[in-house]
Amino acid sequence: MKSWVKIILALLVIGLIGGLLVFHFLYNKPHPDFEKMDADYTLAAADLYKSFTTDKTTAGTKYNGKVIAIKGKLSKVETTDSLTVCVLVFNQGMFGDEGLRCTMLQKYAGHAGKLTAGQEISLKGYCTGFNDTDVILDKCSIVK
Amino acid sequence: MKKLIILVFCLAFVSFAANAQKFITKTGHIKFYSEGSLEKIEAHNHQVNAGLDAASGDFVFKVLMKSFEFEKALMQEHFNENYVESDKFPNALFTGKVTNIKDVNIAKNGVYDAMVEGKLTLHGVTQNAKTKGSFEVKSDKITGSAKFSILLSDYNIKIPGAVANNISKSVEITVEVNLEKLK
Repeated sequence: MKSWVKIILALLVIGLIGGLLVFHFLYNKPHPDFEKMDADYTLAAADLYKSFTTDKTTAGTKYNGKVIAIKGKLSKVETTDSLTVCVLVFNQGMFGDEGLRCTMLQKYAGHAGKLTAGQEISLKGYCTGFNDTDVILDKCSIVK
Repeated sequence: MKKLIILVFCLAFVSFAANAQKFITKTGHIKFYSEGSLEKIEAHNHQVNAGLDAASGDFVFKVLMKSFEFEKALMQEHFNENYVESDKFPNALFTGKVTNIKDVNIAKNGVYDAMVEGKLTLHGVTQNAKTKGSFEVKSDKITGSAKFSILLSDYNIKIPGAVANNISKSVEITVEVNLEKLK
């Protein structure tokens, strides 16, 4: 075999392996680690809720999909089979309590369970939007 | 006069009863699943708002599209950016009725069929939707479950040409809500 054929073959093989690796890492890339990410916005929980109830479209464009750090008074902690949710209530409506619902990262579930109602808390999470009753923060961590 | 008083009492009772018959959850579960030739796609949303008025049968679901979680981050990204365009259309909404609510006795434990009919808004498109599900009544709690399929094309959700043959054109949706009496 001529040497230039060998070189082209080798390059092809390397390219193929490289392509597969890139595809593999892209395809299996990890979920963003919201705990480590810096907050895009830091504000009082009440202000975040108010901006959504005042104009949900504008607030949605600004906050949806962003990492938000909030501070506010905890109303209650709800637990279900799979979730631990810190709830900050600001209003009463047809679905009962309305406000901010912060779903905790699994590693903070235990810590959140020990919080008491009325306590000031600082959380950071990923805002998925406003469902007409509550603003949802997902993957929340407790900010020291 | 007597009739009027009775009527007023009845009305007062009815409105009181109606008020006492709202059942809600904020942690409902919606799963969607589709199996194409190349890829199986599955996502879960555990933060679904649902409200049922057990007197009138009114049934509402409010869903945030960004709350759907996929096993693969890349799929989640594509879902949000290319398919449901969750920046543009953050919410999905179902408003409808349990048409046979009269057959569901919320005072008696048991499993009842639930015929649900209404309008589903997804990706900015509203379509009629109809399915048969079930209600399991257990001491003041109602667990509602249903499974149905939607066609992506009905909601103007486009599958990119390159993968069109590998991704299923219909999606199976499973709903489970543990509704509790609104205090």
